Amino acid sequence: MDKDIPTSSYVDFDKDRCIACVHCVRSCPTKSIRIKGGKSVHLVDHCIGCGECIRVCPTGAVSAVTSKLASPEKEEISVALVSPVLFAQFPGIMPAEVLQGLKQMGFQHVVDMSYFLELFLCAAEEYIIRNRTTRKSPWPLISPVCPVVVRLIAFKFPSLLPNILPIIRPLALMVREVKQLIARQYGVKEKSVAQYYINPCPTMLAPSRTSIKQKRLYVGRALGINDVYAELNRQIEKIKSSDAPHFQKDLFDHGTTGSSLIWCLSGGEIANMNIEHALAVSGLKETITYLEKIEMGLFKNIEYIEFRTCPEGCLGGTLTAIDKYLAKSVVQKMIIKCGIKKRVSRKDMLQSYEEGWFLPETSTLRLERLFGEEKEPLSIDSLHKIEKILAMIKGKDCSACGAPDCKTFAEDVVRGKASLNDCLVIRARGKRVTPETSD
Amino acid sequence: MTALIKSYHIKKRDFIRAGEASINVQNLLKSLSFDSNLIRRVAICGYEGEMNVVMHGGDGLLSVEINSGKIVMVISDNGAGIEDIDLAMRKGFSTASDEYRKMGFGAGMGLPNMKKNADIFNIESEKGKGTEVRMIFSMRKEGG
Repeated sequence: MDKDIPTSSYVDFDKDRCIACVHCVRSCPTKSIRIKGGKSVHLVDHCIGCGECIRVCPTGAVSAVTSKLASPEKEEISVALVSPVLFAQFPGIMPAEVLQGLKQMGFQHVVDMSYFLELFLCAAEEYIIRNRTTRKSPWPLISPVCPVVVRLIAFKFPSLLPNILPIIRPLALMVREVKQLIARQYGVKEKSVAQYYINPCPTMLAPSRTSIKQKRLYVGRALGINDVYAELNRQIEKIKSSDAPHFQKDLFDHGTTGSSLIWCLSGGEIANMNIEHALAVSGLKETITYLEKIEMGLFKNIEYIEFRTCPEGCLGGTLTAIDKYLAKSVVQKMIIKCGIKKRVSRKDMLQSYEEGWFLPETSTLRLERLFGEEKEPLSIDSLHKIEKILAMIKGKDCSACGAPDCKTFAEDVVRGKASLNDCLVIRARGKRVTPETSD
Repeated sequence: MTALIKSYHIKKRDFIRAGEASINVQNLLKSLSFDSNLIRRVAICGYEGEMNVVMHGGDGLLSVEINSGKIVMVISDNGAGIEDIDLAMRKGFSTASDEYRKMGFGAGMGLPNMKKNADIFNIESEKGKGTEVRMIFSMRKEGG
């Protein structure tokens, strides 16, 4: 029945460290993790890379798939792409110093995301305003920025795929532009530009797994913030202790502003958007609840909803180095220091907007193909069987069987992927059963 | 193949749990891989119906019968009943109190919206006794 054992493109499970405690099993929003044989953890279905399992694992058996920092190959030009969340990890340190620290770590170029965030915002605003008359997309539009949300919609809420704002994500925009510019500058092929995205969550992939169902990815390598934190901290100390730190100018010195730093926080995306009817929702559970409500026809009077599955927004990501509330206060102070200024205006980007510069890299149809539910649909007969099993167990969702809840367990049994005897309650009653006797 | 029948209680003025029955139905239909737009239509009708019961009805019941060919949803309550059904079906007509309007309800779109989203829509009501809305959705099951 099993075709091949699914592996996650985003997380690794270390079976030796696993103590079979079912925390991850219960936290998984796609109900894709099981403990098999009371021993170790298995992925049985689609992983959308939300990182909840990493968050809850008490033994560190679940970790994100990131490219560890290797010394870049000689013929490559190494570029660090920096999520604003990185700046939130260093209290009292200004963004320029963090970028300089990265350069001292060996990156030839360091690009801060802020300029591309502003570009995205401008394009997003334009689409929303036009949608008021064209009505091409249904309200509310959903932010495409958090990749987990997009995958969650493709997997669990496919009827909401048309609600996703059809504008390229800031990261994809940045990767495309930086790659082109550097290739042109050095007169090399785009292939020889090695981009490392330094980010707070496990949603980007390691090079060894760059194709999920043949999806081509823009970013070659991803590093967790916690991968670079220690070394970067050392470099920043060095800068701090030197009398005259030398800041090299870079190709992409746009300067970090408060308007990009605010993106670390939940609500930061819509904060600078000129759209009145916009909401920001953060946290995985809240996100799911809101998506369910949108599917029931609510929030039609809202034009844009920013979702982040991590609590408090991106600075609550699983690969950050410092506590999210500490990071929040760092960011808030820094926003005030840097000031909010807009450098991109509607006029600047209107022509490229008309030329299709901001079209998303993945169509909704493709998203559904890539991340949609793959399980065989259940029949009404199987649903009857599931009901019968549930009535027999009268369970308390104890997860001792290794499934997240009784309903999922019953479904596994009906699908032939688990045995009724895995259920503790049934075993305790001392009667061994086969699915047939339940009919 | 026998149809699968599920029923859910709806409690008067229970705004916190309102919508739960629809979410359950939604998830049930998803596991059967019904067409996502059909699921959405059922969910919208379920939610509107639930809200009607919570606001105007007494206690009520939402039940669905899922066949491989069609979905029948019946929402019934023992509440105030509707005096003039034609009037109630009119867009923008609402008897919602100021309290409910302040909560953002009472736009008078509930019943018309349900009628729009169901393939067959039938409503019966008696003043003082209650209301029963019966909706049928036909299935356009997509391959795989």
